[in-house]
Amino acid sequence: MKRIIAQTRKELTQFSRDRLTVVLALILPLILMWLIGSSISLTVSDLPVVIQDWDQTPASRRYIDTIRASLTFRIVSLPVGAAPESALDKAEARAAIIIPADFEDNLKRGRESEVQWLIDGTDANTANIMRNNAAMISQAFNRQNGSSGAPAIDAQLRFWFNPGHDSSQYIGPAVFGLVLALFPPLLAALAMSREGEQKTILQVYVASIHAHEYLLGKILAYMIVAVAEWVLTLALAIPIFGLWFKGDPTPFLISSFLYLFCNVCFGAMAGASIPNQAAAIQAVQNVCFLLSFLLSGFVFPLSNIPSWLRWISDLVPARYFIEVSRDVFVRGGGWPATWHVPILLAVLSAVFLFKGWMSLRKMQIEA
Amino acid sequence: MLERILNWRFWPLFFKELNELRRNRRLVGMMLVPPTLNLVLLGLAMNPEVTDLRLGIVDESRTAESRELVSAFTESKSFVTAGYYPSVAELSRALSMGELEAGIVIPSDFATKRTRREVAEVQFLVDSVNSNTGSIAGGYAARIIGALNEKISLNRSSIQPARAESRVSLFYNAGLQNSWFIVTGMIGMLLVMLGSLVSSAAMVKEKEVGTVEQLLMTPAGSGEIILAKMAPIFLLLSLDIGLSAAVGSFVFGVPIRGSFGLLFIAGMLCVLSGIGIGTIIATFTRSQQQAQLMSFFVNPPLSMLSGATTPIEAMPDWMQPLTNLNPVKHFAVLARGVMLKGVGLDVLYPNFLALLVFTAVLVGVSAWRFRKQLN
Repeated sequence: MKRIIAQTRKELTQFSRDRLTVVLALILPLILMWLIGSSISLTVSDLPVVIQDWDQTPASRRYIDTIRASLTFRIVSLPVGAAPESALDKAEARAAIIIPADFEDNLKRGRESEVQWLIDGTDANTANIMRNNAAMISQAFNRQNGSSGAPAIDAQLRFWFNPGHDSSQYIGPAVFGLVLALFPPLLAALAMSREGEQKTILQVYVASIHAHEYLLGKILAYMIVAVAEWVLTLALAIPIFGLWFKGDPTPFLISSFLYLFCNVCFGAMAGASIPNQAAAIQAVQNVCFLLSFLLSGFVFPLSNIPSWLRWISDLVPARYFIEVSRDVFVRGGGWPATWHVPILLAVLSAVFLFKGWMSLRKMQIEA
Repeated sequence: MLERILNWRFWPLFFKELNELRRNRRLVGMMLVPPTLNLVLLGLAMNPEVTDLRLGIVDESRTAESRELVSAFTESKSFVTAGYYPSVAELSRALSMGELEAGIVIPSDFATKRTRREVAEVQFLVDSVNSNTGSIAGGYAARIIGALNEKISLNRSSIQPARAESRVSLFYNAGLQNSWFIVTGMIGMLLVMLGSLVSSAAMVKEKEVGTVEQLLMTPAGSGEIILAKMAPIFLLLSLDIGLSAAVGSFVFGVPIRGSFGLLFIAGMLCVLSGIGIGTIIATFTRSQQQAQLMSFFVNPPLSMLSGATTPIEAMPDWMQPLTNLNPVKHFAVLARGVMLKGVGLDVLYPNFLALLVFTAVLVGVSAWRFRKQLN
């Protein structure tokens, strides 16, 4: 035990001497979280649209007012003589709305009147939102016109947990987990592979410290760094994303601890098996960041991923942590909804720790 | 003139670098594998499509009318029935456990109100933890109920009501394949990042082993040294433009409706700006490990502020203009213009010029830094 603590202290001293790494460890997670958290979102508003009104009647102007009233669209003017499609080509507008010349006539005669919506489908999700809105705008117009009378069925939509459709409530808790999936394992991997690259592992070999004590000492040191990162990122995440605990925070606290441990163990494992710092950085960056970014349900629902690829996500710790952190900050389901997460994280940590110990012993034998 | 070009000191240096690059298997692998893998993975995984939402039903009415409403939901591809719940409390519990994405509550007086021609109210609950899925699900529900209302009012009166109808035509990507958006955005990002990764690795390696002095002893000037160093990387990475376009077209069916030549030239500018970034990083660092850690400060803003994978319109207002300072953004606009919209330089010239300016600045600064360091 004494030897583990001695190793931890040595590791922390070494860590604090390397300026680039300290900045990387403590400042960059905050910058990255803020950057990703504010830039990644699918919730669009104020999409520019152009309108070509061939009718120029009170009815067509009422239709345009309905569009103007929606938060999704912002009307920009179409240059005189320009075809509305050209605004889509030039990406000056995301949709072009053409009101036909007989719009009011048809309405007055009790016929159906078609408004043409040309929608830029380049960005499929935004196009889908615009398509829904196009239908809703016409429905709203008809309701105001009183032409359809009182509806037979009135659906009261209730948006639960996040009534304002605030995407930071969704992204915030997840991006918090994402940066913690990148930096703690990165630092641990660097510290581990440095020993292999500079052959300082030999000194450890002759010292009276066992492989498991050595490994645990390193892991403990980077756990302390990871907890510091956790505190800092959480302290920033709460104000910038407007988060607060919705339910019992104990599952979150316990899962956080296990999650950090799991990630540090993964880093130590990667570092022990790759005795080259540059390669270790690449490996951790690709595995941790890419997998945690893509296969954790971070922005894009897991159910959309083809099933032959989806099983990988079961092995990604971030996936479980994001579940818990969304639960505690947004949904508030507490233990009944999240009891499985700490268990799975503990299992994954045990696997990584064991693999790390095996590769460390191999590294000592080879060196 | 021709003889002067052929006898130029640049060529021996160029072939030396090319051979070195060719023998470095890891570097060549780095140029070919990650772009392919990244494009396929990202194209498959980054899919915000909203279908098959799990719908929980509380039907207190249990009549033909309520079943008509439920079937209107399940007939659409957007919703699947996840189960019937005896009470609203049970439904809310399932929603907060994350077992459902939406729930509908049909009160017991639903059928009576329908026959009396009063407004029959139903509650539709949406889990909007995922704000995007939530608002799209709400939109689907509003459309489904709107369509049902129209059907009912048609049955009630024989006169066709005067209605405005939106007829939507989707341009450029009629199937709404999100992979088209991701692939066209990612190509530029990959080119810039690979360019910076490979060039900084190649430059720093020279520093690490201390062979820069040997290069300096050759009669070649520092400009020629840089040029010879960058040219092979540039040529090899240019092949990646074709590779990624091919991956996009074979795996995801992304079309190239405009001129491939324009796309290729824009891609080459991306590679060049990447090489510029990589060289600048290399001049500030002493080891490969440091160079890679430095790139953690450069790559996230490049990729996040580009609109390559998420719409720029969804960013905060103050952040949107910042994307104009990013070569990746301009390439994304160019790639989408050429590949999906089939437009040419007459429309895309502002982005092309911006890309050209960024490339010139980055390459210029990197050459200046490198030369300063050599001396």
